[in-house]
Amino acid sequence: MARETYWVALFKSVSYALMAEKVLKKEGIPFKLIPVPKEISADCGVCLRFTADARETILQVLSGRVEIAHIRPLE
Amino acid sequence: MKEMMTVDARELSCPEPVIRAKKALEMNSNILVIVDNVMALENVKRLGSKVGCVIEVDHREDGTYRIHLSKGDGIGPIIGKDDDLICENKPIPVRSGPFVIVFPENRMGRGSDELGEVLIRTFIHTLPLQETKPDTIIFYNSGVKLTVKDAVVLDDLKTLAEAGVEMLVCGTCVNYYDIAKDVAVGTISNMYDIAGIMSRSGRLVMP
Repeated sequence: MARETYWVALFKSVSYALMAEKVLKKEGIPFKLIPVPKEISADCGVCLRFTADARETILQVLSGRVEIAHIRPLE
Repeated sequence: MKEMMTVDARELSCPEPVIRAKKALEMNSNILVIVDNVMALENVKRLGSKVGCVIEVDHREDGTYRIHLSKGDGIGPIIGKDDDLICENKPIPVRSGPFVIVFPENRMGRGSDELGEVLIRTFIHTLPLQETKPDTIIFYNSGVKLTVKDAVVLDDLKTLAEAGVEMLVCGTCVNYYDIAKDVAVGTISNMYDIAGIMSRSGRLVMP
């Protein structure tokens, strides 16, 4: 089995990440809050990690509610 | 004025420069120590101030430091231990015993509880990725809440448990919070085992 492809969504601040988390939790979308991987940023930030197939749904449910600063696949 | 004694301590590794400077100071009240690194400089300066010397430092362009130490008459043997030496290459004493991580709370750090809960999640996320994993993880007080079935960190803890990390969950604490039936990872333990492992640990990390 191929390894799962993950994506991450980064936000302007920790508060935004927490707001997004609440929305995803309410919508029942699986995700994991993780530290921003070092290869993306050296900042001590947090981001939301999810599987590639959840990407569209996440963009939809967060649209107009929480602004995503950056969304990208995880190496 | 007595002739100044010169100690050339270049290319000597720590703690040799300060040992030579000390010997020279016991015989002379006026010495010049030449060193080629900041660590030796700091150690020699510390020696100088400990025995009440006037210290003058000349940083040369070639990277060496000329440290002039002068003291009043009556220099005797310098008493005192060398335990304040800073040697980068001084081996850190390795204590044998298990590597233990203790979670005394279900959050990390003081300040904002909300932030602390985020931090502990990210901390635990990184543990399975570490080359050196703990031998044992101990949970007590609200830390036990991290081990229950709906805890967000449960998957990471299970990964660690599968990798052979022993997990002890304080029984008194799960009883107090009334979550004994919800504990989903680790072994319910008691203070004898918890205190025993903490006492025997070679390294104890408390986030």
